[in-house]
Amino acid sequence: MASATSLPRVESDNRLLNTLSVVPGVLLLAAIGYAAKMLERSINTYAKVHHWIFPNIEYVLWAILIGLVISNTLAIPKIFQAGIATYEFWLKLGIVLLGARFILADVLKLGGISLALVVIEITLSLALMTFLGKLFKLKPKLISLLAIGSAVCGVSAIIAAKGAIDADDEDSSFAIAAILALGALSLFTFPAIAHSLHMNDTAYGLWAGLGVDNTAEATAAGALYSDAAGKVAVLAKTARNAMIGFVVLGYAIYWAGRGQAETVSNKAAFLWRKFPKFILGFLLISVLVSFHTFSKDQVASLGNLSKWAFLLTFAGVGLQTNFRRMSKQGLRPFIVGALGEVLIACLTLGLVVSANWIWGL
Amino acid sequence: MIAAEKVPMSTDKSNPSNNSFSLSLDTWAVIAALLLALAVKLDILKNVSW
Repeated sequence: MASATSLPRVESDNRLLNTLSVVPGVLLLAAIGYAAKMLERSINTYAKVHHWIFPNIEYVLWAILIGLVISNTLAIPKIFQAGIATYEFWLKLGIVLLGARFILADVLKLGGISLALVVIEITLSLALMTFLGKLFKLKPKLISLLAIGSAVCGVSAIIAAKGAIDADDEDSSFAIAAILALGALSLFTFPAIAHSLHMNDTAYGLWAGLGVDNTAEATAAGALYSDAAGKVAVLAKTARNAMIGFVVLGYAIYWAGRGQAETVSNKAAFLWRKFPKFILGFLLISVLVSFHTFSKDQVASLGNLSKWAFLLTFAGVGLQTNFRRMSKQGLRPFIVGALGEVLIACLTLGLVVSANWIWGL
Repeated sequence: MIAAEKVPMSTDKSNPSNNSFSLSLDTWAVIAALLLALAVKLDILKNVSW
């Protein structure tokens, strides 16, 4: 019989096991990320030495491609799953550390522009996805989830909204699959379109942050264009993420008013619970750097640590994308999502071009 | 209890709770980043290259 005194020991053993269970997957993320970095360097050097005309493929794309090939051709052993799932942690760690590469004045200027564009983008995206969902006769709560996912921040927003509006597991799986599949496509389409339009880094970064739904894919889509564009994409996406609580609260009140979700009693507590706390960490690091807490070399080190964290994230994005699993979710939500995303991409491109014209980004 | 609390925390990617320490993923990321920043400030981590 287990005595009361033996319980803490069992708990501490479980903690240790939980912590150790992520090690194989994290090592796999690190190995893929490092291989991608080596591939970028060696292929570029080889092409230069042999005078080949070969496009400069960045480590970001190699990491995603290696991950995609592994997840779509091999059955990843269970031992790696827990560690692969930590890619969200590396993403958020990378974003907080990225604060070191922004002076507060930049955050306020670019963040202000981003926030203004985000409010317009969210309003139009919600209206557009609701219209398309009704046109294709999707279930009302699935429409809400798709609208929230495409307007705010992808998977996190859908999961946050799922509980708040009492949506089915099936509906949220549909919405998540659609958002993830479209996010994977945007990794290849956004940089190609931007190159053909000769967009500058800031304008493209803003577009990727506003137009790509999931934070990991938005970060990758930005970094695929350039380092500077990656920075701006993260800032714009972070401004979008900050709105998650307000949008989910709006939908929770809407569905509660129809008697199909529980009433939100404390709105301030609800907003705080849904607010992505890593944004505060990002701002804190940016404030510390702005007040010269770190030397120039130390700021460079923090920026490089952020890049290492993102490297693991990009490997995870590829490993988590399984097209076969996504295709099982059905075609109609995907069509609505795809139509909506194409229109939102055009709309956000128009917004960014207008902002560039007005403010000279 | 509000509806949002019905979501199993293990599936909540925006604010997942780590059962062992009852902190969200976001909070862990901020703590880890601040510890790294402290290590850099104290020159425990020096000249991290890329």
